[in-house]
Amino acid sequence: MNDSNLPAVSVAEVQRLISGELSLRARLGYVTLLLFALAMTAVVASLWLTEPRLPARTQIAFAVMVGIGLSWTTYATWVLTRRRVLLAGHQVIAARMAVAFTTIFVLGSLALGLWSAVGRPAYAAAAFAGVMLVVAVAMLVSSRRRFDDLMHRRRALERELSHQA
Amino acid sequence: MIEIDRKQDELLAIRCQLGEPAAFDALIARWHEPLWNYLRRLTGDDDAAAEAVQDVWLRILRGIPRLREGSRLRAWIFGIARRVAMDRLRAKYSQPPLVSAAELDLAGTEEPDDLAEDIALMHEELRRLPVPEREVLVLFYLEELTMTEIAEVVGIPSGTVKSRLFRARKALRDQLVLKGVKR
Repeated sequence: MNDSNLPAVSVAEVQRLISGELSLRARLGYVTLLLFALAMTAVVASLWLTEPRLPARTQIAFAVMVGIGLSWTTYATWVLTRRRVLLAGHQVIAARMAVAFTTIFVLGSLALGLWSAVGRPAYAAAAFAGVMLVVAVAMLVSSRRRFDDLMHRRRALERELSHQA
Repeated sequence: MIEIDRKQDELLAIRCQLGEPAAFDALIARWHEPLWNYLRRLTGDDDAAAEAVQDVWLRILRGIPRLREGSRLRAWIFGIARRVAMDRLRAKYSQPPLVSAAELDLAGTEEPDDLAEDIALMHEELRRLPVPEREVLVLFYLEELTMTEIAEVVGIPSGTVKSRLFRARKALRDQLVLKGVKR
């Protein structure tokens, strides 16, 4: 060990490392990937489940595409829970994105079902999207509550500390 | 004073949990040096400590959303540092030693003749203590954690911390007396 007590890695270096890790853009990129992967999986699964008498090779192709969609979903979820974790403020933004995206997905699927020849697969996709919308709204409510609780505690602590100062 | 420290820790933890970048800068400015000193003394190696301290900060960033009680911030931070250091020590001791017996013998024959040398010798002897004794001494005297916080970091009861601290103090004193330090 050298005799200096100064850290070999400086405060500024660690601050740079952490600020890179905190990038909101990267987080929102993974949230977008997650939403698109889920939507793709829902659309392909809807076609697969509702189309009658599909040839075996088409069924295999659909199964592979659903597998790919689920893999991307798993990967994005892993990144967002283990690597680029979502802090309370990020969770609220991510949940709002999910609500907006799934609402468009539900409305788009319903519109396709009503005004085009797509028929049953579009309604099945709308059903999947509806489930995603319910989950997204639940996440928005819970992340908003967590954010408000933290803000409430933060203000209380700031008041207490300013009185004690 | 301890009460105010705890509240400041909790406030900092909450600001980090909210995702405020300035709070992470403040957290690093406050805890980087104590973490560095702790890891350096635990691993006994600057290069290993430099790698470990970056790993610790990444784990802190990734784990802070799950920290339930912000007032336990310091025990939580040192707990992460301890796990990282222990993982590295386990890996290190599974490899053959790089320091020769001659080098160790040479280091042991130094004769302190003033306070600075005594302090240097004390750090050297501290490094020779077994890890469990060394870490309680470092956390208690150098990082100024309470017995309860040390118990939380190390994962043992407070009573065991007290007895380990007693044993560690005695071992360090005996080693220093053997080297001729009387103070």
